[in-house]
Amino acid sequence: MRIASGGVTDVGRVRSNNEDCFKIVEPLHLFVLSDGMGGEAHGEIASAMAVETVVKHCLDFEANPAAKVVGAVEPKWSARTKRLSTAVHLANRNIFKSAEANDEQRGMGATLTAVWIDDARLSVAHVGDSRAYLLRGGGLLQLTRDHSLVAEQVRRGILTAAEAEESDMQSVLLRALGAQAEIEVDAEEHTLFPRDVLLLCSDGLTRVVTEPEIAGTLQAETDPMRAAEKLVALANERGGPDNITVVIVRLDKDSKGWFSWLRGATRKNSGSNGTGGN
Amino acid sequence: MPKLSLMFENKIVKEVSVGTRPVTIGRSPDNDLPVDNLAVSNHHAKVYFEAGRMVVEDLDSLNGTFVNDLRVERATLHDGDNIHIGKHKIKVDASGDAPVPWDSGRKAAAPRIDETMVLDTKERRQMLQQAAAMGESMQFAGTRLKVPTLVVLSGKTDQKEYVLANKLTVIGKSAMATVRLQGWFKPQMAAQINQRDDGYYLGSGDKVPSINGKPITGPVRLSDGDLVEISGVRLNFVFRE
Repeated sequence: MRIASGGVTDVGRVRSNNEDCFKIVEPLHLFVLSDGMGGEAHGEIASAMAVETVVKHCLDFEANPAAKVVGAVEPKWSARTKRLSTAVHLANRNIFKSAEANDEQRGMGATLTAVWIDDARLSVAHVGDSRAYLLRGGGLLQLTRDHSLVAEQVRRGILTAAEAEESDMQSVLLRALGAQAEIEVDAEEHTLFPRDVLLLCSDGLTRVVTEPEIAGTLQAETDPMRAAEKLVALANERGGPDNITVVIVRLDKDSKGWFSWLRGATRKNSGSNGTGGN
Repeated sequence: MPKLSLMFENKIVKEVSVGTRPVTIGRSPDNDLPVDNLAVSNHHAKVYFEAGRMVVEDLDSLNGTFVNDLRVERATLHDGDNIHIGKHKIKVDASGDAPVPWDSGRKAAAPRIDETMVLDTKERRQMLQQAAAMGESMQFAGTRLKVPTLVVLSGKTDQKEYVLANKLTVIGKSAMATVRLQGWFKPQMAAQINQRDDGYYLGSGDKVPSINGKPITGPVRLSDGDLVEISGVRLNFVFRE
C-alpha cells in the first residue's frame, strides 16, 4: 500500500509551552503522538521521552526480533503489535523511573497513541485521551477509547455525551504513562484498505473541533500536511485552549494494476506531445 | 433500588429497577417496559430520577398516563403509587434507595481542573467500582451473551453466515474483506459495519447500502433483525444468543 503522511504540532493560543510531541518514522510506517502533563517543563520531558522510547524500541525491531515482550499480550497478535505494545510499556517505565528519581519531575506523565502499518495490517497501541481515528467511506470512526473519567462515565451510562462535553472533569485521566510502575496498554489490530485515512490527534483538537468537521477536512484536503495545518488552524480559530497536534496518514493502492499501467502509458504519450504534466 | 412492576389482572408481568437511566414504557419492543396493548402508544411514558425524586413523564401519548387515577403530564411518584397505562397497572415500589449519580456531589466540591491530571490507583479503583455498581449491571446484563451475526439471505458470498468478531467489518470483493462478495463488477469495498461503544453501525463504502429497503444517508446503528441490502446481496443482521 502507498502511504503519504504529514503532521503538525502547535502551542495553541493560551498556553505558553507545547507539551505535545509527535514523530513520523516514514521508512517504518510508524506514527507516534504524545501529550505530556506536569508542572514547569516536565510535561514536555514526559511526552518526548514517551515518543523517543517507542520509536527507538520499534526501530530496533529488525535488528533484534527476539526482544523480550513486556506486559500483557494476546497470542494472536502479530509480532509488530506485540512489539508496539511492549514499547508503550517501556515508555511508561522510563517516565515513571525518571519521575521517581527526580523530585522536581514528580507527577509528570503523558498520553501515547501510536500506529504502525505493515502493508494492509494496522497495529494500534494507546494510553490516555489522545485519539486515533479512521476515515473510511466518508465515515469517521474513533479507534481508541479515551482513558478519561468522563469517557468512562459516558460508557457506563452515568453521563450523556453532551454532559461530558460540559463537564469540568474533562482533564481527569484514568490512565497515563508515568503515573504508575505498571499500566494497562490498549492494543489492537485492523485490516487497512486503499483510501483509508488515519488521524492521530491530541485533545487540543477534539475539544474544539467536531468529528464531522474533522471528516469534512480530511475529505476536502487530500494532502496530509495541508489537511493537518487546516485542522490546527481551525482549533486555533476556536481559541486554541490547549496544545494541538495532528498527524495524518493516507493510504492508497500501489500503482501496479493493469488500469494504472494503462493510465501511466497514456500519461507518457501525452507527455511527449508536450501537453501532459500536472 | 426502586422498582416498577407491570401488572395485568393482578399478576406481575414484568419488573424493572429504576436506576440512573430513565425507564421507558410503551408498546414498541425497544422500551425497557414493553406493554403489548393497542391503547398504549409506541413510546408512551418514562420514569426517571430527578434531584432524588422519582418522576413519571407522559410522552404525548394518545390515551394518557394516570397516577392514582389522575391524568398527568408529569408527576412525582411515591411508594405505593399506581400508574395506569391502557389496561395495565404499574406498581411503584420506591422503598429502595434512590440512585444518586455519584459525581453530583463531587462536581460541586472539586475545583475546576484545567491542567490534566491522573487519578491515583486507589482513587481510581474506588471511582470505577462506584461507577460499575451504578451502571454496568444494568447496561450490559441484556447484551452479554448476544453474538452479532450476518446471515446471507441471497447473493453470492464466500460464506453463508458471518460472526462479527472484529471492530471493523468490510463487505466487498477485496481479498481482505470479512464478507467477501463474489462475481464480476462487485466493488472492492461495498460497505462497512463498525462496532462503536453503543452498537454496530452500517456505513457506506463504494456503494450505499440500504436497511429494510431504505438507503442510508450516514452511519446507522443496526437493530436485531434488520435487513441489509448491498450490491445484489441481502443480509440479515441478528444477535444470536
